Amino acid sequence: MIVTKPKPFRKIKQFTDPHENILVVGCNTCTAVCLAGGEKEAEQLAARIRLHRRRQGLGGSVETVTVLRQCEHEFNEEIAEMVEGRDLLLSTACSIGPQALAERYTGVRVAPAMNTNMLGMVKEHHVWSEYCVACGDCGIYKTGGICPIARCAKQLFNGPCGGSQGGRCEISPDVDCVWQQIHDKMVSLGLEDDLKKIMGPKNWSWSNHGGPRTLKKEGFQP
Amino acid sequence: MSDNHTLTRSFLRPITGDAHLRPPCEVTCPIHTDVQRYVQLVAEGRPAAALAVVRETNPLPQVIGRICAHPCEEDCRRGQVDEPIAICNLKRAAGDGAGDAGAVTVPPQPEFAGGRQVAIIGSGPSGLAAAHDLALLGVKPVIFEQQPEPGGFLRTGILNFRLPKHILDEDIAYITGMGVEIRTGVSIGRDITLKELDEQYDAVLIAVGLSLSRSIPLPGADLPGVCLAIPFLEDVNAGRDVDLGKEIIVIGGGNVAIDVARAARRLSAGKVTMVCLESDQEMPAHAWEIKDARDEGIDIVCGQGPKAILGDGRVEGLEVKKCESVFDDSGRFAPTFCETELSTIAGDTVIIAIGQMSDLSFVPGNGPELDQRGLLVFDRRRWATTRPGIFASGEVVTGPGAAVNALASGRRAAVSIARYLGLDIKDYPEPEAIGELPRRVREEQVRQAPRRRMPTRPEDERVSDFNEVETGMGEVDARCEASRCLLCGGGARYSQLKCISCLTCVRVCPYGAPTADKDGLVGIDADVCQACGICFTQCPAKAIDLEVVSEQELAARIDAAAAGGGTLEFGCWYPQTRVAPEARAVMLPCTGRLSVTMLLRALEAGAEKVYVAVCSEDDDGHFVHGHRQTRAAVQEARSLLEDIDLEPDLIELKVVAEKKCLKGAAG
Repeated sequence: MIVTKPKPFRKIKQFTDPHENILVVGCNTCTAVCLAGGEKEAEQLAARIRLHRRRQGLGGSVETVTVLRQCEHEFNEEIAEMVEGRDLLLSTACSIGPQALAERYTGVRVAPAMNTNMLGMVKEHHVWSEYCVACGDCGIYKTGGICPIARCAKQLFNGPCGGSQGGRCEISPDVDCVWQQIHDKMVSLGLEDDLKKIMGPKNWSWSNHGGPRTLKKEGFQP
Repeated sequence: MSDNHTLTRSFLRPITGDAHLRPPCEVTCPIHTDVQRYVQLVAEGRPAAALAVVRETNPLPQVIGRICAHPCEEDCRRGQVDEPIAICNLKRAAGDGAGDAGAVTVPPQPEFAGGRQVAIIGSGPSGLAAAHDLALLGVKPVIFEQQPEPGGFLRTGILNFRLPKHILDEDIAYITGMGVEIRTGVSIGRDITLKELDEQYDAVLIAVGLSLSRSIPLPGADLPGVCLAIPFLEDVNAGRDVDLGKEIIVIGGGNVAIDVARAARRLSAGKVTMVCLESDQEMPAHAWEIKDARDEGIDIVCGQGPKAILGDGRVEGLEVKKCESVFDDSGRFAPTFCETELSTIAGDTVIIAIGQMSDLSFVPGNGPELDQRGLLVFDRRRWATTRPGIFASGEVVTGPGAAVNALASGRRAAVSIARYLGLDIKDYPEPEAIGELPRRVREEQVRQAPRRRMPTRPEDERVSDFNEVETGMGEVDARCEASRCLLCGGGARYSQLKCISCLTCVRVCPYGAPTADKDGLVGIDADVCQACGICFTQCPAKAIDLEVVSEQELAARIDAAAAGGGTLEFGCWYPQTRVAPEARAVMLPCTGRLSVTMLLRALEAGAEKVYVAVCSEDDDGHFVHGHRQTRAAVQEARSLLEDIDLEPDLIELKVVAEKKCLKGAAG
């Protein structure tokens, strides 16, 4: 899923201070699952903004609404009445959410309350790790089901590099060397010889290096 | 193919959950009183509100709080951990506390607009309950009572040391305050006939109870010094002189026999002996009644049946024969005796307390039908006799039972009568109970907490008068006892519509109540849930609320307590110790159920300082991990305050120093 992290409040107040009628729009999908911007967090953020504004003597109103997924216009349509009369929509979704709101509600300023961090997985409660960079050309069949692009600091295809020390990456002793993990996994599968084959260059045009991507499944349009 | 529906899961899923499951105490209670709610209010120190909850289903709350057979306690899930909650005593505590607080309860004033009137024969618990409910439905009840004062067996059969008359008077005054008319000293058949009632009223309810003592044809039963239980109790309750000897023998092993023996103990300086057929374990009297009797020095001779009352011109003793078995293989009462194993118990008075029966002599030959045994022929579903418009409830049709069962039948009969009169009334819902406490939770996770005892006057003092034996739990004891409640079924309620299957609840619940299947469908097992509230504070989609102290209710309490500024304490009701006694308090089962939003809400609502009670780090308190959650939420809230340039100390933890309710001794 998409993992987000709330922006520091000093950033958020820069967005909100100039405005009067603010609607905090929560998103109850990825950003809720990563405990950053679902209904609960959106309400909490609204409470903080209200306390801040009261202290600063700023008037206006700060209210909250949460949709199931901000990245779908059908859900955003449902909050049209709530949006009426606002001068700022503060989205707690990943970056897609505020962009979708901006597309739908063209007359209102939109701000992100989140930084979109990664495509990741929950490792334990409140801990997430990056697993994918959406390169558009998944190659983990050859690497024991482990992605070296998302998880190797150098995004090496033919690792490890000389910086691999005792199973750790040279960038930090807290970071595992993913090529050590790939090696260990391939050995356990009896496939270590596969690692002797050099992996060729990757087609990066399918990642965003080739410009903004649009996917269209042909033949199923209503 | 069937596994592929994960991909097409609808975002509109139905709301389910176990909202219909109720705590076993409520389900077992014949009148389905919302026990959990009033116990919770006692725990919070709000006895008047607790009493109001009891009144929702129970027209005689103070009476039942003293004499109830409390079947609820038998099924209490706390009993699977250590001992059941003292539910009956807490009902009394609600009434006592409300009285102490000077809370005046004004009875509702229903309008009897339809002109319908119902005659009720008998002012015992069943008749009073029916009258109460009919009045609420706008049907005017008129009760006919042959005794000079109302209450039926509650007045004539139950003694002041168990149920003080002024308590009965107070409960009855509430009912008459609603416009229920009670005509005392009216004997049906003598002063007015059943036929006349049938003609003059829109319906008649026969709720005459069991007002006659049964006897046994024993040789010597006509000797002076032999009497029957009911006339004896009536005389004692009426304050008439009773001529008791020095050695009193009570025949019988039921609750009435115990009452008779305890009354005799108070009236005579001599010895009181009970003789019953049953063994110690088989005695029909409640265990606690038997204990009370023994504590007062009453001898109980078990497994003996009366053969003859001995004496010449005056009772000198009772000859008994050994009882070999009381019940036959199918459980029916069919005692067998060894006629050769005889013994004699010396005594100068014999009181026979072997059971009661109804006096239906007022039912005419062409009235409601009676069967061969002289009992009313009766439709159990409609509480109706064979004569249209004449109904019956209470022990006259159910046989002997607890007062609360009589209330239940009276209430149900009222519904049936109202329907007969053309009112559109639904049946009382029959709630379904949650299941057993799982073994792991019961043995490893629920903290044991000793049951508080009802204080009683010392035995040697109490047998010298008829004043009440039980003196009532003090406020602290009652609150501690109430806080032992496990809030069965009072925990997490989740909305599948809002659930996003994030698994947060699955990960944070210390009891393992939430589970998810491969399709992401989450279920929270009500049997396992202990209502700690941790899942509620963490659910990012707000798909979880709590049954007991919901988010809405909590928010309202916070707003009320924080309005007008000042200091607010989020307290925990288990220790019953405040961390900021000067502050306005919002008391909760655990401060671990406070979300960061709720902490901030207190400041938003006006509080200038917030204290949060928390257990010490090495002590879990009532809930597993509760204090960790409290600490995490407060820490998070403080750092968020710092973020917005507010003083973090606006929200401060305070460790609870003394946990009164989790200790053995009374507070």
